[in-house]
Order: sequence, then C-alpha cells, then structure tokens
Amino acid sequence: MTTFKTITFALAAAAMALPGAAFATQAAASAIALTGDVKAVKVITAADGTETTELVEPNTIIPGDRLIFGTDYVHGGSEAVSNFTVTNPLPGAVRLAPDADPALEVSVDGGKTWGVLAALTVPNSDGAVRPATHTDVTHVRWVLASIAPGAKGRLTYPAIIR
Amino acid sequence: MFCGAVALCAFAVSAPALAGGVTAGTLIENTAVASYDDGAGPRTINSNTVTVRVDELLDVTLTSLDPGPINTRPGDAVLTFELTNQGNGPEAFTLLANPTVAGNDFDVTVRAIAIDSNGNGIYDEGIDEILTAPQTTAVLAADAVLTVFVLVTVPDGVTDTQTSAVDLNAEAVTGSGTPGTVFAAAGVDGGDAIVGTTSALATARGELVVGVANVALAKSVVLRDPFGGASAVPGTIATFTITAQVSGSGTINDLIVTDAIPDGTTYAAGTLALDGTALSDAADGDAGVASDAAGIAVDLGDVAAQTTRTVTFDVTID
Repeated sequence: MTTFKTITFALAAAAMALPGAAFATQAAASAIALTGDVKAVKVITAADGTETTELVEPNTIIPGDRLIFGTDYVHGGSEAVSNFTVTNPLPGAVRLAPDADPALEVSVDGGKTWGVLAALTVPNSDGAVRPATHTDVTHVRWVLASIAPGAKGRLTYPAIIR
Repeated sequence: MFCGAVALCAFAVSAPALAGGVTAGTLIENTAVASYDDGAGPRTINSNTVTVRVDELLDVTLTSLDPGPINTRPGDAVLTFELTNQGNGPEAFTLLANPTVAGNDFDVTVRAIAIDSNGNGIYDEGIDEILTAPQTTAVLAADAVLTVFVLVTVPDGVTDTQTSAVDLNAEAVTGSGTPGTVFAAAGVDGGDAIVGTTSALATARGELVVGVANVALAKSVVLRDPFGGASAVPGTIATFTITAQVSGSGTINDLIVTDAIPDGTTYAAGTLALDGTALSDAADGDAGVASDAAGIAVDLGDVAAQTTRTVTFDVTID
C-alpha cells in the first residue's frame, strides 16, 4: 500500500490563535481564503498508442515527473478587495515547466523583481547577463486589480521535479 | 550558454545536481501567499502548505573499465568494471558474473567478485573486499560510483589469440523491471521505489584475449680447420649459433639460453656474444657467463613475441 502523502496544514490557525481584541486588524477573519493543492500529471498510453494526460494524486513521484500546483481563492467577504496579489515561491526541488504560460509573471531573483520570463535576465559569474530560463524561476505570482465579493478562482502553475 | 529565445532554451537547461535528480525523500512543500487591500489596510494571508515526498528512483549503469581485451594466459586474470547508482536514493546492487557468453572460444572460471576497497582502481589481493554470495554491494548513495573486479581463471590448454568474454550483471536490491514498476513503500523514508529508465538492471562485458608466446631454439655450427677448410680436426674452431625465436603473442619471461661445451672441445675464451655483441665470460653485469666446465648461459630476460635473439660462441676441437 502506498501512503497518501499530501499533508494539509491549517494555516489559518496562526491568526485564530491570536488574542482577539489586542490585534483587531489582524484578528478579523480574512475575507479571502486560499486553498492549495498539488496534482501529478500522468501520461496514460492507450492500447492504440494515443496518449492522454490525467491529473492524479501525487502518491508516487520521481524526478522528471510533472506536478500542477494549484491555489483556489474565494472571496467570502462583503466588500471588494483591491491589489490582490498571490505570490508562490517555487519549492527548491522543482523547476517551472517549459510550457508554463509565457505571460505568467515570474521572478528569477527571489521575488525582488518581476516580469514575464522572456524579459528577465540572470547574471553570469563573469558579470555578463544571459536570458533567464524556466530553471531560473524562483517565484510566480498573479496580480488582480480587484476581486468582487463572492468571486472565486483557481491559479495554477506546472512544475517538473528536478 | 547563449539562448536567443526562451522557448528554444527551455529544454536544454536544467542540469540537476544529481544524475537521478532530487534526492529520494525530499519534501516538496508549496505555499501561496496572497496580499490585498480590503479598505482597512494591506493584508497578507497564506494558503495551506501542500507537501509531497519525492520517491526513490532505481537506476544503475555498469561499464567495463578495461581499455580493451585483457591480454592473458592460462591462470588468473582480473576484469575491471564501474558501477554507478544512477538513482536518487541509497541503494545496494547484486552482482552476477556470467562467463558463458556466446561466441567464446573458451570459458573462464569466475573465482570471485571483489570491490575496490582502497579505491586505487587496481585489484589488491588481501586488501580489496571479496564479496560473498549472494554478491551484493554495500548501500551506495545516489550518484556513487564503485569499482568492481571480477577475478577469473583462464583454463589450461587455451591457444594464442583465443578470446573469451565475461558479462557482469547488476540489479537493484529493491527490485528491477519495466521502467515505471513501483515497489510500494520500499523506498527512502517509507516512500515508494520506482524503476527508472535503466530498468534498474545493467550489464557490461569484459573481454580476454590469450597471448601465448612460444620459444623455438635452433642450433647450428660452422667449422674452420687450421688449414682454411671446414674439416673437424684438432685445432678446428667450431662456431655455434643458437637462435631463440619467440612466436605467438605476449612475452616470454626470464628466458635463459644455456648450452654445454661438447666433450672433446674446449671453450674459446672471450667468444660468447649476443646478437653480435661480445659478452664477458665472467658472471658480472652483462647477460652472459661462459666457462669450459659449466658451458655458456645467456640471460635474455623478458622477450616479446616476434623477437629473435642470437647467441654465438666458439669451441676448439682438442
């Protein structure tokens, strides 16, 4: 039997543990909830040779396998929020998949500067710069100008285990 | 590396630190952070963290380190191989040497499989560990490389230029099979172990070629009598020529040519020569020694095949 290895932490716990009155701003329930998940992409070859991909639980994964990291957001509050930015540092053991959306906003310097990958560069040891590649990506992010109450969505990025 | 377009580069980059990729047991943890302004000021929230553990990839390669067929003769010989744990986790490998390979002119006997314990690349009797059956390596870290010796005995009766091959097989202890085969909970930290592209099996071939050298001695004599002729009379000088011709391949070691002085003759002092170069009669620094009582002896040392050495000396008929 394989063990199911997706571990879910209730990160809202940090906020709930705070004494309410003293930290009114932080203690107020967040209007937005984020829920992360991860799926493995398995290629299934049919008897006639055609290949289809399927998202499965990442029970058995090895270097080279493809993962889809997803974050669901839902706005449970009553007022629109603005400047909604979801930032996702890439785990060190994965690289951004080569077929990631070219329009995805990424960082190759630990989240200091951002842009589409094609616009970014990485310094070489000799001081010159080279174009950044998917392997260089340290963070991805999504920026939405505003979210209306009740709105929800799903943000994903594909990654390959190094 | 220069990349003109990201799309072209994407597949060429990413050299993982390990051949087998991220180490088995590594936890991949992903957390998203959202920031926004709800009118009361900026806020930040985290998603839950999702964690997956990298499973163990089983891969192995084996290559022969011999630069070519090992030149051998009847007796002991050593074949050298290199095993690499191409997986991403610690793994031991069972080894099996098969001396019965199709096309062999003869089959060797496998005496043992040994590990290069002192890492010098050369089999050292009594130092390098001999594996006991079932021959299994120690647990090797991901990317670890191990030098393996297969100790064989070449049978008597083989002839020059005959060849033989020995196949060494390695198999991951956890298991092998079609790539993608899963051994549940058999990997690092209770994770799964998965057979990689090598099928977790490897075979390498070591080869031997027999080099048997043979030496043929030929002796001839030329007579010169005191009267300018070639008759055997007292006072005639007989010049003996002994040729040592080494054929086949390989080398004849420590070849010494000896001959007695024939009865009724006397060694002509100072006439011993090797390939036309005089050798002193005394037992000294040069290769030759000669006396009337003991005869002649010339130490040719190691003589390579396809070499001919010529020893000459004179006697006088009494």
